[in-house]
Amino acid sequence: MMRLEDLAFAPVVLPLLGAAMAFCAKAFLKGRATRILEYAGAAVGLGLPWISFAATFQAVMAGEVLQGVVGGWYGGVGVLYRFDGLAWLVNVLGYSVAIASWVYSLGAGPRGPTFTAVFLIQTAALAATAMTADLFNLFVCLEVMGIASYVLVASSDKPGALLASFSYLMVSATAMVFFLLGVYGFYRLTGSLSYVGISEALRTLPDSGGTAALVSLALVTAAVAVRVAVMPLYGWLPDAHALAPHAISAVLSGVLIKTPLFALSRVLLILPAGSLAGEMMGYSGAVTALAGVILALSQKDAKKLLAYHSISQIGYVVCAWGAAIAAGMATETGRIMMAAAFLHAFYHALFKGLLFLTVGTTTDCAGQRDVHRLRGAARLLRSWGGERIPLTLVGFSIGALAISAVPPFNGFASKTALSEAMKGSWQYGLLFVAGIGTATSFIKLSRIYWPAGKGVVGRPRDAATVDVAGYPRDTTTRATVLLAEGWLALLCVAGGIAASPIFAVVYRLLSENGTADAVSLGLYSWPNLLKTTLTLAGGALLFFGVVSGPGSAALKRIRERSLSFHGLFVSFAFGTAFLTWWLLYGFRFLR
Amino acid sequence: MTERLLLLSLFLVGFCGVLANKNIIKKIFGLTLINNAVVILFVLEGARVGQHAPIMEEGIETIVDPIPQALMLTAIVIGVCITALALALAFRLYRNTGTFNIDAIRRKVHDAS
Repeated sequence: MMRLEDLAFAPVVLPLLGAAMAFCAKAFLKGRATRILEYAGAAVGLGLPWISFAATFQAVMAGEVLQGVVGGWYGGVGVLYRFDGLAWLVNVLGYSVAIASWVYSLGAGPRGPTFTAVFLIQTAALAATAMTADLFNLFVCLEVMGIASYVLVASSDKPGALLASFSYLMVSATAMVFFLLGVYGFYRLTGSLSYVGISEALRTLPDSGGTAALVSLALVTAAVAVRVAVMPLYGWLPDAHALAPHAISAVLSGVLIKTPLFALSRVLLILPAGSLAGEMMGYSGAVTALAGVILALSQKDAKKLLAYHSISQIGYVVCAWGAAIAAGMATETGRIMMAAAFLHAFYHALFKGLLFLTVGTTTDCAGQRDVHRLRGAARLLRSWGGERIPLTLVGFSIGALAISAVPPFNGFASKTALSEAMKGSWQYGLLFVAGIGTATSFIKLSRIYWPAGKGVVGRPRDAATVDVAGYPRDTTTRATVLLAEGWLALLCVAGGIAASPIFAVVYRLLSENGTADAVSLGLYSWPNLLKTTLTLAGGALLFFGVVSGPGSAALKRIRERSLSFHGLFVSFAFGTAFLTWWLLYGFRFLR
Repeated sequence: MTERLLLLSLFLVGFCGVLANKNIIKKIFGLTLINNAVVILFVLEGARVGQHAPIMEEGIETIVDPIPQALMLTAIVIGVCITALALALAFRLYRNTGTFNIDAIRRKVHDAS
């Protein structure tokens, strides 16, 4: 009889098995057999874990926590894991987008067993990150996830992607060294590595470990914040996400920046002073939401615009997440904020994945990524892409409406839940303004589909597509591409329509003991609809401001601000120092 | 105390390398240095409680704390992977742009796109 505790490992072990199958396919087989084994590996790695989610759903819904020590070692030596509602939710988020991205990659590249294997390793790492309850194991999981993603970003062989991957690697590996220093601090103070062990030992120390514990906490938090890409640690993200292959961009933006965040919430919720660190993260999230939108508005590269929007949207998530941690999960406001944060993270993964895939398909088909120059892409998709039914266009429209929070799509539900939860705080105002900016920049982006005037810029019919190995040379949209887009579009619509029951499930799963009272999400109230109308009207007005002379000159200046490699490290050092100062002295200013 | 000061200076040298050196190979060296500084710090911490390697034989009594050593083996492996990958990326950047200077690479990549 298989125990549920064993099933909880399926999302980690099965993708690794799939990766091994894909590597074997590359090493030992030739021709058709390679592909069959590779696809079988992907099916094992991305498909079978769903059985485990289905099997464990009832248990985690009832508030049961599947936990123990990996490999049956005794506590204190072994690695603790904890598969609860949070881990379940983060896994479902990750796997929904991962499947779509992998299917998309079959049509649009990168292809091959090596890619599949690395992709599966990354998926395994994110599942492991979601369920670890041990600080050193968190370090290992984050590093494995990171290494897989550096490889995947670099897998489009453009020099820009190589540089982006290199910068991402350097800044995040350096941050992980600081994380390790934080682990050292905690180990020295407490002699323990599991979250529970550290927290219990710290509480017996005078002043909860004092300065040393706070500095260690700041180091750990700041290192994870680099992965989450909140201000001011976002610098590596735009290039990495914009220059990676489209399928990878979808996973990076949709999943990889959120998994570390929710893994960090386990640490912050249990350690003393964790709520202070969460509070600071929440403030920087609110600033990130607005700053990300302003930067996004100034971009002219279609995928870079989307990448900056990922920063902005993760800002929304972090804002509510930080407020939830500051309030604590024992309070109802805290639980509602955390549920809203997760709901937005989940829905953002779906619609941003969809946007990256559809915009990627469009720009590949047109051979042009500049949003100021590309026009008439709807026609190009029909004539060159061979799309009788304009599925890519429909998918883009759904994604753009969702991110601009238009009902009934999923973005409306999650943004409304978020702003309901944050109502009355100063962050609420920032998020509202960021919402207007989001609407504006998607009006700007959707212009690529508008009918072309005389200034149509596309690529001559016979010119080669992006001349990179593994990319299709013809511009026909493949069936797998449409399938992936269709799946995500479907989830976006379904998530919007069924938002209330989904929110109730998320709320229940995140409430620790499962005894939480039910909550309802009042979505379609008059104030909410009025707010949406206001946001859209503001967005349209702002759009005219942006395309005017002074507006575009100001944005050009923002776009061409100088970015340097060492700036990434300076901002990391500055951010860490600031967080340390905040934990030691700064928070007193607000009390 | 001396050991810790030496490790701090090793760490700072490495961090300066990552931050200020223009050559990407030397940046990777810097990353390795800071990683190693933290690894040695951990091992040093484990050695506070004893002198001998944790291999239980006749006459061995005061052993060092084995957990930091086990952890650091893992950290060293990860560090090697990162270094190898970073060097591979540096090589491909060199092949594409003909230079190891980060500013020159940035300029060339920017001009190409």
